Amino acid sequence: MGRSLVILLGALALGAAVFAGTYFASQRACEMCLATPADELGWLRAEFHLGDAEMARVRQLHEGYLPKCAAMCGQIAVKNRELDSALASGTNVTAEAQAKLAEIAALRAQCQAQMLQHFVEVSQAMPPGQGRRYLAEMIKLTLGSHGEIEQSMSDHAGHEHRH
Amino acid sequence: MDQEDAKLQELLRGSRATPPLPPRFQEYVWRRIGDAEAPARPAPWLDALVNWVLRPRLAFASVAVLMLVGILLGTRGGAQAARHDAQARYIASVAPGSLR
Repeated sequence: MGRSLVILLGALALGAAVFAGTYFASQRACEMCLATPADELGWLRAEFHLGDAEMARVRQLHEGYLPKCAAMCGQIAVKNRELDSALASGTNVTAEAQAKLAEIAALRAQCQAQMLQHFVEVSQAMPPGQGRRYLAEMIKLTLGSHGEIEQSMSDHAGHEHRH
Repeated sequence: MDQEDAKLQELLRGSRATPPLPPRFQEYVWRRIGDAEAPARPAPWLDALVNWVLRPRLAFASVAVLMLVGILLGTRGGAQAARHDAQARYIASVAPGSLR
């Protein structure tokens, strides 16, 4: 009983080791082959099956958008620092802190509108079906998380109130 | 002297209380001894299974199947991970954390 069991367990362990070894080796090899660290637009080409002409247009839009995005993010960062210093002075939410929060919200909304406009322009540079898919995915990946958070908070609040 | 020893032994035996043995005590003891001396017999189904698993043709086929499945699943997992990384890099470039 003991010897047979040891042999059987050894065979199972060997099989598991063979499977795990080939799984991790091929996973790593595939990741290394497909990784394109230099080009952040590589994903768009592969995912939405874009040709060279479409990629050139998308790249032009992308490169035009990045400086505008960086400028807006810089403004938000400045306002965030101002808010930090307004909050650091006391334990109350002062009028100044409230004003900073409103400014940050307005800047963020402006920045998000600009981002959405960019997504729309990029989607229009793609074949129609792929463009629609791109736009839906971008909205889900960027703004969708807000909806999920708000939904979860509203569910949680409703749950609390029912008790 | 011997007579005194014999008396002493008898007195000592009489002073020790010997509890009655449980019924079929001897049979039980002999069965335990027999079980302990019998060689451990392997379960026949386990031996048959081991013999079946260790046949060279089956062993090679199993290793080949495991390697093939490992390569296929690993490649798929690697492709998904690379795709996810590339997607995350693009999203990070167009929508910094402060906008999400």
